[in-house]
Amino acid sequence: MTNTPEKIIIAEGVDKYYGKLHALKDVTTEVHRGEVVVIVGPSGSGKSTFLRTLNQLEKIQNGKLVVDGIDMYAKDTNINKLRENVGMVFQNFNLFPHKTALENVMLSPRIVAKRDKKEVEEHSRELMYKVGLAERMDNYPSQLSGGQMQRVAIARALAMRPDIMLFDEPTSALDPEMVGEVLDVMKGLAAEGMTMVVVTHEMGFAREVADRVLFMEDGALLVDEKPEAFFDNPSHPRLKQFLSKVL
Amino acid sequence: MQDQQRVWLWNIVFAAIVFAMGYSVYLASGKIDYTWRWDRVAPYIINTEPQEIAAPGDGTLELGSDGKSLQLVLDSGDDPFIVTEYSTMVAAEGDLIFEGDIIATLDDWQTGPIIEGLIVTIEISLYSLVIALALGLLVGLMRISANPAVRNLAILYIEVIRGTPLLVQIFIMYFFFGTVLDLERFTAGVIALSVFTAAYVAEIVRSGIQSIPVGQMEAARSLGMSYPKAMIYIILPQAFKRTLPPLAGQFINLIKDSSLVSVISITDLTKAGREVVSGSFAPFEVWFTVALLYLVLTSALSWAIQRLEKRLSASD
Repeated sequence: MTNTPEKIIIAEGVDKYYGKLHALKDVTTEVHRGEVVVIVGPSGSGKSTFLRTLNQLEKIQNGKLVVDGIDMYAKDTNINKLRENVGMVFQNFNLFPHKTALENVMLSPRIVAKRDKKEVEEHSRELMYKVGLAERMDNYPSQLSGGQMQRVAIARALAMRPDIMLFDEPTSALDPEMVGEVLDVMKGLAAEGMTMVVVTHEMGFAREVADRVLFMEDGALLVDEKPEAFFDNPSHPRLKQFLSKVL
Repeated sequence: MQDQQRVWLWNIVFAAIVFAMGYSVYLASGKIDYTWRWDRVAPYIINTEPQEIAAPGDGTLELGSDGKSLQLVLDSGDDPFIVTEYSTMVAAEGDLIFEGDIIATLDDWQTGPIIEGLIVTIEISLYSLVIALALGLLVGLMRISANPAVRNLAILYIEVIRGTPLLVQIFIMYFFFGTVLDLERFTAGVIALSVFTAAYVAEIVRSGIQSIPVGQMEAARSLGMSYPKAMIYIILPQAFKRTLPPLAGQFINLIKDSSLVSVISITDLTKAGREVVSGSFAPFEVWFTVALLYLVLTSALSWAIQRLEKRLSASD
């Protein structure tokens, strides 16, 4: 590790194009270990795209990304190895439908990290208990509610013992009454000191849990503030406009 | 209750229509000068006639030392011809026997040429099925590869194979590749069928994989799985379940298409049927029998695949 452990994510001048569309424009930011950073912005602003560059589900064309001390675009970087340390939770859960909840959680530690079966099973059961689904371990995803599926997805990402957790609109596909249970699990994680980058429309969560809130629009990072300043005293005119619509 | 009655009514209509069709076939067959002789077909399926054991040369018949086996001492001075298994002795001890004479008969059920043909058809279909599945999976994966060289190879293969008739492919495989590579007809037939079916399997595999939501691959990769691991553990098991119905159809086609290899003189069910027709002079009966046997094979396969589908649907 050549970088200081304090800065766990460093993004410098990140540019991303989809064909002619300039999806990310010179995005520069940092995340420190243990920080909870929430990214908000209108849809199509590039916030999900930026999040997905952090475990290289999207490749960037320009700039530098250092995650967990590893330069993502260095020649000798093993992206699979890096992804083991970066958990991701998706809007549509993306649970593996042919496996039970517990098998979903156990799969990657077994076949990727090749950890001992007994240890993995114990750890996975603990995680299922932690997300409040001790009773649903042997259910298939199709037998679970949206909120339950998303909590399994969180447990699945945690099973690899990641250093960083990325959340891509984790509550956007949920019925309103299920949003709370997922946010509660995320709050618990934040309280434990997990480094989290969260793309969400839940302003309440951002205000309550975030250490910093970023505002993106049109592929550019416009605001990077503490939540108090971000919500109570918005400086940027575009942010003011956005907040007046969503709050 | 009324719905129930209506279902019954329609079932009766169905039965009536099938019966009417069967009856009209029966009537039609009465209009032509043809005597139905189903009994002639039977020996070609299972032969229950006693087998005749003929002498290989001239000699004298003796009883063996155990008092049971027969021993033909040959005039030529070669080793005696010994018969241990027989049911009825036709010649008597001490008889002078000439070449081709019947010494004894053996009561034994023997499979007739139709059953032999059926076995060959099953063998060809099974070999081709396994090879086609493996080759189709490979080509299907190549077809969705990001590498243009690999992808275009797969497309070329699929287009060439699907764009030419199987019959012609069998001829080319046997007469050209068979000559160049010195292949036996059975091997050539199996390869031609496999290569043909694999092109269709590849397209089924491709569409099956592409029907799995992109998020599945992303979730797997985000957990640190390599592309092959994600394919093996996440994508293919799900795709396999979805492709079972079209695969079943393709493999039923394979069984039926296997009848075409009879053109390169492989004695499969169809070729056996042709041979039996010329021996039994009962073409109608033989072809109906052959059709029925194909139907039994294809039904068994689709039944097996339905069972598999049910077992795999546990997670739905």
